[in-house]
Amino acid sequence: MTEGVIVGGWGFVVAAYCITAVGLVAYAWSLHRRTQQQQARKDKS
Amino acid sequence: MNRRIAPEHWVGLAAVVLILTGSTLGLFVAPAERHMGEVQRIMYVHVPTAWSALLCFTCAFIAAIGSLWTGRERWDATLVGAAEAGVVLNALLLVQGSLWGRATWGVWWDWDVRLTTSLVLLLLFIGVLSLRSFASGSDRRASLTAVAAIVAYVDVPLVYFCVRWWRSLHQIQSSPATVDPLMVLPMRVNAIAMALLSTWFIVRRARLELARRRANETALPDRLPLNEVHHD
Amino acid sequence: MSAIRSQTLTLLAKDLRLEWRAKARLVAVGVFGLLALVVFSIAVGPDSKALTAGAAGFLVIALLLSSTLALAESFRIEHERRALEGILLLPVRSGAVFYSKAIANTLTLAMLAPGLSLFGVVLYGVELRPAEIGSFFTLWLLAAAGLAAPGTLYAAMTSQLRSRDVLLPLLLFPLVVPVLMASCKAMTLVLAGDPMGQLRSWSLLLLCFDLIYWSLGGILFPYVIEEG
Repeated sequence: MTEGVIVGGWGFVVAAYCITAVGLVAYAWSLHRRTQQQQARKDKS
Repeated sequence: MNRRIAPEHWVGLAAVVLILTGSTLGLFVAPAERHMGEVQRIMYVHVPTAWSALLCFTCAFIAAIGSLWTGRERWDATLVGAAEAGVVLNALLLVQGSLWGRATWGVWWDWDVRLTTSLVLLLLFIGVLSLRSFASGSDRRASLTAVAAIVAYVDVPLVYFCVRWWRSLHQIQSSPATVDPLMVLPMRVNAIAMALLSTWFIVRRARLELARRRANETALPDRLPLNEVHHD
Repeated sequence: MSAIRSQTLTLLAKDLRLEWRAKARLVAVGVFGLLALVVFSIAVGPDSKALTAGAAGFLVIALLLSSTLALAESFRIEHERRALEGILLLPVRSGAVFYSKAIANTLTLAMLAPGLSLFGVVLYGVELRPAEIGSFFTLWLLAAAGLAAPGTLYAAMTSQLRSRDVLLPLLLFPLVVPVLMASCKAMTLVLAGDPMGQLRSWSLLLLCFDLIYWSLGGILFPYVIEEG
């Protein structure tokens, strides 16, 4: 394998960080919503 | 109504602060790597995600054993939380790795040890969660989930061991001693951040699971007439 | 230890009798495997080199697909007239129930070997020399055992649930990746030649997986079928 520097690649870096952020936030949001729904169900009963 | 902030939210807050710090360090402060250039910065989020995913699955494994051993619902709830968080992190780690692979190897996917093992791990624990959702009416749900989680976890070293006999393209781990401290720092900060975030995920999901179970178990109405105060 | 052994053998006799009575089902499962082989050759195309090179893989996949049918069936019978609960009322160790079922399933899958292999030899242009037949069928038996043990455990789990037909392959396939890899690799070496003498290593690996899965299955099976 030739040694060299990969030029650029910022696009990949930004994509990786953004997708990670979106994924984590989305899951946290999903947890929050489900907890709220459960709380609402409990309060109604 | 007294709204105390649940203790795990402080953990979550710390995680957010740390992950922003670590990512900033990783993106803007750490130097570019000699061979890989800027692309190496993906590692500051990829490696911590991988460690945390494995941590979550290990937690699920321990919770599964606890669930089978004691039969107590806390273990079962923790198992669900850890499995779900692990699946989310594992999915993210495959996407991150795929981006990195495309940038460095030129391919979106390769069948080397770590990638194959990671994919199989994801599929195994998706199976565990699927089993649980299909077992929702069963009184054996907890033990079935626990058995599936134990088998899934034990299978991972087997897959790793088996695929390792093939040639591997994946990066050999570099020891921190040989790496620039400015590169070690964002890695460590993000690793702690991800671990704390995983803890928050697991605790929140476990609480949700326990709340759902309590709600399902309540066959009688919550308020019996005796307890009610009638204002005429 | 001897109690488990004798109980296993008794239950095994029962399971084998059941399998024998349902031999039409075994034929159907075998035909399904053959169909899978045909479909592979259509999908991969007329390139005979690709077919020959991948022959072992196709055979193992055909075995895997057939196993999902056979395994699901093995526990459907038990649930039909609540037979499993009847057995558990007796002083029978759950381990014995597992091992008898797993052995019966292994033998069922092993019985597919001659038919599928013959078809494979014809369809894929593979050369199976007489000297290699022993190794080939031993590997087949080990692969069948590696699929049957986790398959029996999961069949027991999913037979109690809805959408069991979807769940069993979903759970089983990722789990048996080591068995698939090791048996594919080993069978390819038997069929295509083994210049570097790797066959022993892969066979031992396959044997190790089998031992691990069979032990784990026996330990975890009680938790799956007994009342909490």
